Amino acid sequence: MLLKITCKLLAAVSLRRHGAVVRRGSTMASGSETTRFDFLVIGGGSGGLAGARRAAELRANTAVIESHKLGGTCVNVGCVPKKVMWNAAVHAEYLHDHGDYGFDAENVKFSWEILKAKRDAYISRLNQIYRNNLDKAKIQTIQGYARFTDEPEPTVEVNGRRFTAPHILIATGGQPSVMSDDEVPGASLGITSDGFFELETLPKRSVVVGAGYIAVEMAGILATLGSKTSLIIRQSGVLRSFDSLISTNCTKELQNNGVDLWKNSQVKCVSKTDRGLEVTIVTKDPEKKNDEKVGTIEGVDCLLWAIGRKPNTSGLNIGSLGVDVDERGHIIVDEFQNTTRSGIYGLGDVCGKALLTPVAIAAGRKLAHRLFEGKKDSKMDYSSIPTVVFSHPPIGTVGLTEDEAIKTNGKENVKIYKTSFTPMYHAITSRRSQCIMKLVCVGKEEKVVGLHMQGLGCDEMLQGFAVAIKMGATKADFDNTVAIHPTSSEEFVTMR
Amino acid sequence: MLYCHTINSLSFKSQDCFQFLLGFTTPPNNNSVKPHFSCPAFTTQYCLAGKCDYDLVVIGGGSGGLACSKEAAQLGQKVAVLDYVEPSAKGKTRWGLGGTCVNVGCIPKKLMHQAALLGAAVKDARKYGWQIPGTVCHDWTTMAEAIQNHVKSLNWGHRVQLQDKKVKYLNLKGSLVDECTVRGVSKAGKETILTAKNIVIATGGRPKYPTNIPGAMEHGITSDDIFWLKKSPGKTLVVGASYVALECAGFLTGIGLDTTVMVRSIALRGFDRQMAGLVTDYMEAYGTRFAWNSVPKRVDKLSSGALQVTWTDTETGCEHKDCYDSVLWAVGRAPETKTLGLDKLGVQLNEATRKIVVGADESTSVPNIFAFGDISEGRPELTPTAIKAGKLLARRLAGQSTELMNYDNVATTVFTPLEYGCVGLSEEEAERRHGEEGVEVYHAFYRPLEFTVAERDASQCYIKVICERGGDQKILGLHFTGPNAGEVIQGFSLSFQCGATYPQLLQTVGIHPTCAEEVVKTHITKRSGFDPTVTGC
Repeated sequence: MLLKITCKLLAAVSLRRHGAVVRRGSTMASGSETTRFDFLVIGGGSGGLAGARRAAELRANTAVIESHKLGGTCVNVGCVPKKVMWNAAVHAEYLHDHGDYGFDAENVKFSWEILKAKRDAYISRLNQIYRNNLDKAKIQTIQGYARFTDEPEPTVEVNGRRFTAPHILIATGGQPSVMSDDEVPGASLGITSDGFFELETLPKRSVVVGAGYIAVEMAGILATLGSKTSLIIRQSGVLRSFDSLISTNCTKELQNNGVDLWKNSQVKCVSKTDRGLEVTIVTKDPEKKNDEKVGTIEGVDCLLWAIGRKPNTSGLNIGSLGVDVDERGHIIVDEFQNTTRSGIYGLGDVCGKALLTPVAIAAGRKLAHRLFEGKKDSKMDYSSIPTVVFSHPPIGTVGLTEDEAIKTNGKENVKIYKTSFTPMYHAITSRRSQCIMKLVCVGKEEKVVGLHMQGLGCDEMLQGFAVAIKMGATKADFDNTVAIHPTSSEEFVTMR
Repeated sequence: MLYCHTINSLSFKSQDCFQFLLGFTTPPNNNSVKPHFSCPAFTTQYCLAGKCDYDLVVIGGGSGGLACSKEAAQLGQKVAVLDYVEPSAKGKTRWGLGGTCVNVGCIPKKLMHQAALLGAAVKDARKYGWQIPGTVCHDWTTMAEAIQNHVKSLNWGHRVQLQDKKVKYLNLKGSLVDECTVRGVSKAGKETILTAKNIVIATGGRPKYPTNIPGAMEHGITSDDIFWLKKSPGKTLVVGASYVALECAGFLTGIGLDTTVMVRSIALRGFDRQMAGLVTDYMEAYGTRFAWNSVPKRVDKLSSGALQVTWTDTETGCEHKDCYDSVLWAVGRAPETKTLGLDKLGVQLNEATRKIVVGADESTSVPNIFAFGDISEGRPELTPTAIKAGKLLARRLAGQSTELMNYDNVATTVFTPLEYGCVGLSEEEAERRHGEEGVEVYHAFYRPLEFTVAERDASQCYIKVICERGGDQKILGLHFTGPNAGEVIQGFSLSFQCGATYPQLLQTVGIHPTCAEEVVKTHITKRSGFDPTVTGC
C-alpha cells in the first residue's frame, strides 16, 4: 500500500524494521506528497540495479529511477553490444583462416544490417530481463529524469512526483565526452560510441579520435569488419596508462590490422562536403617543436570521438545537496561509497573510478549489505581489478604496471618475466599475431603484483590468474602450477 | 607453444636440415674412442670413477625425455637422448623427434580441434551477418598437410634445441644392458653401446588394439595414424569413450564427417560424471552419433572396400551391423616396456598395467635407473606433468635440488567440441572423501555471449565449484564446460594451487563480458535446489 509520509524515519536502518512495516510501491501522488522508500536508487545501470536487487533481497523497500533503458551503459551502449560487434569481427578473422584449415568459404560478404538487427533484438531481450528481475524482486521502476529538490530532507523529483528515502544512491553513470564546435570547428558532425551503436550501415571510411580503450576497440572493430579506418592519437602510442609493453604492442597490432594511425596528431576542424566529411588534422613533429604538418582525410562517413567519458550529474541538482564533486564533476565518495552528505551514496562511473560493470555491481551489493544487513565493514576492494580490452587480439591486465611497481618499490626490488610466442592456432595460418605476456614481481619472495598480456584468448585467460594475484600469489606459486597443454595460458606457469 | 616461437625464428627449411642430421648414429666423444664394457660391476666402478660416456642417458625423446635431458645438460651434465619410433601397427606411420604429444597427440589433436571449431564458426558467422554462399566443404588434405608440416617443423625444432643445449641425440632404439649401460640399435641394425651414471626411461606409451576382435588390427587404425592420413578417413567409427576417443570423434564431426562413437559403458571414466554427461550431450546435439552400451564383435572388409562392423548391444543382446570407411580404436594405451630389457635387470613392473613401478623421486627398483611420464605406474598421462617431472628429476640427478614432483592439483582440459577443463576432485570423489554433508557445490548454467547472437544452444555450458562445506570453504574441485575452457582453467588452477577458498573466488572482480567471469559469480548451491541458470549480466 501507498505510504504518504509526514513522519520522520530513523536514518539508521535496523534489521528489525523491515519485517514490521509493509510499504510497497506507490501510486500517483499530488505534487506536495512524497513517496518514501527504504532505498532509492537513481540510475538503472549495472551498479544501481545490483545494489537495488540486493537491497530488496535484504527486504528493503526499493525503487529504481531510470531515464532511459534499463541496463545502463553496459547493456545498451557498452560492454554487451561492443562484444557482439567484436565477436562479429573475430569471425572476419576466422574467415581469413578458413582456407588454411581446409574450408572453402569464399566470396564472403558482410551485412551490418543483419548483425545490427540481431544485436538490437538481443539487447531488447536483456532490457526485458532486467525489467522482469526488478518486478520479481518487487522493486518499483520509476521512469524519468531524477532531480534533487531544495528541501532540507533529500528528496528526488521525477516528472513532478517526489520520492525520498533514508538511503539514496546515485548511480547515474557517465557518457562519452565530446569536443565542442568552439574547440574544434565542425566537431559536432562526429558521433561518439553511443552513436556507433546506432549506425545502420558499415561506414566505408572511418576516423576514430582517441587513444583510450574505447578508441582502440572501436577502431579495431571497424577496421576488421572492412571499414577503412584511421585512428588519430595525440601522442605516439595508444593505451598510455597501460603497461608500456601493452601500449607498444597494441599500437603495433592496430597497424598490423590495417588501421591507419596518425601519431602526434589532433583534429583541427571538420567540414561537410558532398562526398562526406573532410577531417583536417594537425601533426606535430615531437622532435621539432614548431614543425607542424596539416593533412586531411576526405570522404569520411563516420567520425567517432572516443576522447573520454564524463559523469552524468548535470540535471541532478546535487550542488544544493552538499554532495561534493571533483574538478571533472565526479561525485566524491569514501571507501564505503559515502558522499559528503549523509544518507547519499555514489558508485560506478559517476564517481570516475574503475569504470567497469563488475566493479559497480560489486560496489552496489557491498553497499546493500552494509545498509540493510548491518555489515559495517562491507565495502568494495578497488585493488587488483582485472580488465580486458577487446582489441585484436584482446588484452588482459591486472595489477600494477612495471613503471608503477618500480615507482612504489624501487627498481632493484622489481623483477620482470616476459615471453612472446605465436599461438598454436596460427601455426598453420597465413594470418599471424603474436601473444605477449609479462609478470611484474616484487621483493625477495617475488610476489606477482601485475600481469599483462595481449594475444588470442587473453580475454578468457585472465580471470583465474586474477583470483591468484588477489590471493597474493608469488612467482614460485606460478612455477608450482602444472601447465595445461596445449594452451596459451600455460606460458604463464612455464616462464623462466 | 614455446616451440612455435623457436620455429618462427628459423629461416631455413626444415626438410634440408633433416637430411643433414639423419644417420647420426656414431657414438659420442668423437675425439676419444673408448672401450665399452658389459660387465655390470666393472661399469659401475668405471662410472663412479667418472669415466662413463655420459652423466645421463635418456631413453625416449618425448616431452618428458627431452625436458629432462635439456635441463640436465644446462646444469652441466653430459647427456645423450635416444629416440626411435616403431611404425604403427596398421598404417605403418612413423614420425620424428618429440614423442606422442608433438606427433600423434596434443599438437595435431588441438589443431584438428581448431579446424572443427572453425567449421562451427562458419555457421555462427552467418548469424553474425556474414553471407557465405553455398555450403562450405572441408578438404582433409589441405588441413592434414598443413598440420603435418607444422609437426615436422616441431621435430626439427626439437633437434635444434638439443644441439643448442649440447645434448647428444641418437636415433636409436634403446634398451638396458645393465644399470649403467644402454644398447642402442639403429634402423639398419647397427649397435651402439653407451655407459652412463644414470639412466632415465621415458619411452611413453602407444595405443592398444583389442585382442579378441577379428579384423580389429587388420582393418582398424589408432590415434597413431589418424593425424597422418593422406586422405579423409570418411565415415568413421571410433571405438572407446576415453578423452582420446571423444576428441577424435569431435573433430571428425566438426569437419563434416559422419562419425559414431561406440561406448561399452561410460564416457570419460575418472572424470566428474555430471561433466562427462554434459560433454557427450553436447556432442550428440552437435552431430556425433553414439552407440551406447555396445561392444564390437568383428570387423570385415567388404569387396567394396567398406569396413563392416558387427557389434552387440549389451542391454538388448541384439546384434547390429553398419559399414564405415574407417574404424579407429581408442581403447586405451599401453606402456612401451616390452623391448627395454627391464625383466633381465629386475626393474619392477606393475603386473596388470606393465608400467614401471616408481617412487616419489621417479626411482625404479634398480639403482641409477629412473622412469617417469606415461611409462610409469600411477602417473597422469599428460605432457606438462612429464615435462615438469623430467626437469625436476634432472635437477635432482645433477645434485642441484631435492624438490620432488607434486602430482596433485593437476589441471587438465578435454578438447571436445564443447571444451571441458577441470582441476581438483570430481563431485563423486569429493563426496567420497568428505561425505555428502561435508561438501558444498556452487554451480551455474551460463550462456556465453558468443552463443546468443549465434543462436546456439548453451544447455551444456556449466560451471561447478566444489568446496568444503565447513571452515573457510576451501575449494576441492573446479569444473568448466564452454568455449576456451583450456585458457579459462589455467589461472584457476594456479589459484587452486595457492589453496583458494570460495570467498576468495567471490572477492575477485569479474571481467565483463567473458565466460570466465561466471566462475567468480557462482552463488547458487546445489543443495538449495534453486535454478542455477544465469540471467542478465
